[in-house]
Amino acid sequence: MRHIMAKQQQTLLERRYSMLGLFLIAPTVLVFCAVIVYPLISAVYLSLFKIFTPTLEGSWVGLDNYRVLLSKGEFWTSLRANLIWTVGTLSLQIIFGVGMALVLHQNIWFRSLARSLILFPYFISTVVAVLVWKWLFNDLYGILNHLMITAGLIDWPIDYLGSMPNAMISVILVGAWKYFPFVVIAVLARLQSIPDQLYEAAKIDGAGPIARFFDITLPQLREVLVVIIMLRAIWDFKEFDLIFLLTGGGPVTSTQTLPLLVYKEAFALNQMGMASAYAVIMMLIMLGFMLVYIRRTRSEES
Amino acid sequence: MARKILFNIFAWMVVLMVAFPLFWMLVTSVKPQFELFRRPPSMLPETVTFEHYWRLLSDTNFLGYFWNSVILSTATTFVVVTIATIGAYSLVRFRYRGRETLAFLVLFTYLLPSVVLILPLYLMLVELGLSNTITSLVIAYTTFALPYALWLLRSFMAGIPEDLESAALVDGATRLGAFKDVILPQLLPGIISTALFTFILSWNEYLYALVLVNSDESRPLTTGVMNMLISSFNIEWSLLMAASVMMSVPLIIVFAFLQSYLTRGFGAGGVKG
Repeated sequence: MRHIMAKQQQTLLERRYSMLGLFLIAPTVLVFCAVIVYPLISAVYLSLFKIFTPTLEGSWVGLDNYRVLLSKGEFWTSLRANLIWTVGTLSLQIIFGVGMALVLHQNIWFRSLARSLILFPYFISTVVAVLVWKWLFNDLYGILNHLMITAGLIDWPIDYLGSMPNAMISVILVGAWKYFPFVVIAVLARLQSIPDQLYEAAKIDGAGPIARFFDITLPQLREVLVVIIMLRAIWDFKEFDLIFLLTGGGPVTSTQTLPLLVYKEAFALNQMGMASAYAVIMMLIMLGFMLVYIRRTRSEES
Repeated sequence: MARKILFNIFAWMVVLMVAFPLFWMLVTSVKPQFELFRRPPSMLPETVTFEHYWRLLSDTNFLGYFWNSVILSTATTFVVVTIATIGAYSLVRFRYRGRETLAFLVLFTYLLPSVVLILPLYLMLVELGLSNTITSLVIAYTTFALPYALWLLRSFMAGIPEDLESAALVDGATRLGAFKDVILPQLLPGIISTALFTFILSWNEYLYALVLVNSDESRPLTTGVMNMLISSFNIEWSLLMAASVMMSVPLIIVFAFLQSYLTRGFGAGGVKG
């Protein structure tokens, strides 16, 4: 009898606990519904209308926006630019990031100062990064052209942002500079947890530094690299600020990625409905990546 | 030994190359105007001047933007971290239906591109009559800051051993009492690091500020400074570099005094996902 009562009491307590849990999560749920779920649904809804941005007057057009955008060349060129940017900047981030992490893992002089300096580009505002790089890229007084001419690499000042393929290369490089510290920190943390014995054993077996890198370091880093690549691929794909501020999508539309296209469509061409359709398509493209990443994270947890 | 020295020199050369743009920003901001356009450019300024900083503070609306950014980022951080702390506590330590779905939604929105949300949010805030206000930006910033903070705090919370809480409950504490006396002190470093990240994220945000605010009264630093670039007839680089340095001051402070919190946040959110 007492046993049953204790059990009843326990379930009562459990129920009260889950009530408390719901109460504590309520603010989160409310905010989520108001600023994320509702806008997300209305983004899909808006994409079925033709809306003139200044007056916000709309008329139902069904799936017409999607039909138009898929047959328009601009969507495909933007998608192409988006993929070039993402693959380009991501590979540089990974190569520089892993390399720099390996260097900083060694016992170099003033290591923590070096680490702070490396980390800094990641944390500064994109606006600051862009202003600084525009000044470095300046065709008349920019230090970059001056240094390259002095070094004999080029004869004439280069137009870094105003012509192709320079503009795309510059954007990719600045992106790599800004975001590779993320890779450095993540890889560095993993490097520090590789047991020293592995290296000792390999040394005894006569493995050189290069063999040790490929046989021990790289396999140990594999897991964390997969996570970093997925995360950064998602973030780079949706990057807006950096490209918008550096080139504005130009020259003409050669660096215009999908987020820039959405912005242009909504606020320069005043086609809010069409812009929503672009945004929804862009999200669908990313969805595959996002779901893979989420599934992976969740399975790791449980 | 010689190899070690060579490696050190190589390593530091790379580090200095990465840091060079920031060094150049600092140098440009303290060079007098005539030295700026000299050929070849001087690596270190021959005369150091703070005239650009002075002009920035007295002739432009920089201080106004700065103040807006301080209010905006502080408000966002406060709102987001408060909601996320109790939310993360609930997600990690309570059992109820829909909990897993919610955790999934948090991670999903953490990865969601803001261009998808920005159009409906724009319409919503215009309808509410909030466009061109700092409040509208605080609301918009929660869309990316809240999932982010929840995700970070969730993994910090998961790192606190459950025994501590159980012990307090056995001693007769209520759930909320245990939260206040046992969990919060343990979570404090995580809260600080989440707050720092949220603050930096809001401080640096550009797209929402560009779309939602179109008046100098409530413009934050990012769009404000960019406007100085676009609207000026001839670009004054030293002024812009001074603005960039000033804009990074809060970051430099965080870096100088609170860097361990940043690294900790990286470990919790960035790597584990």
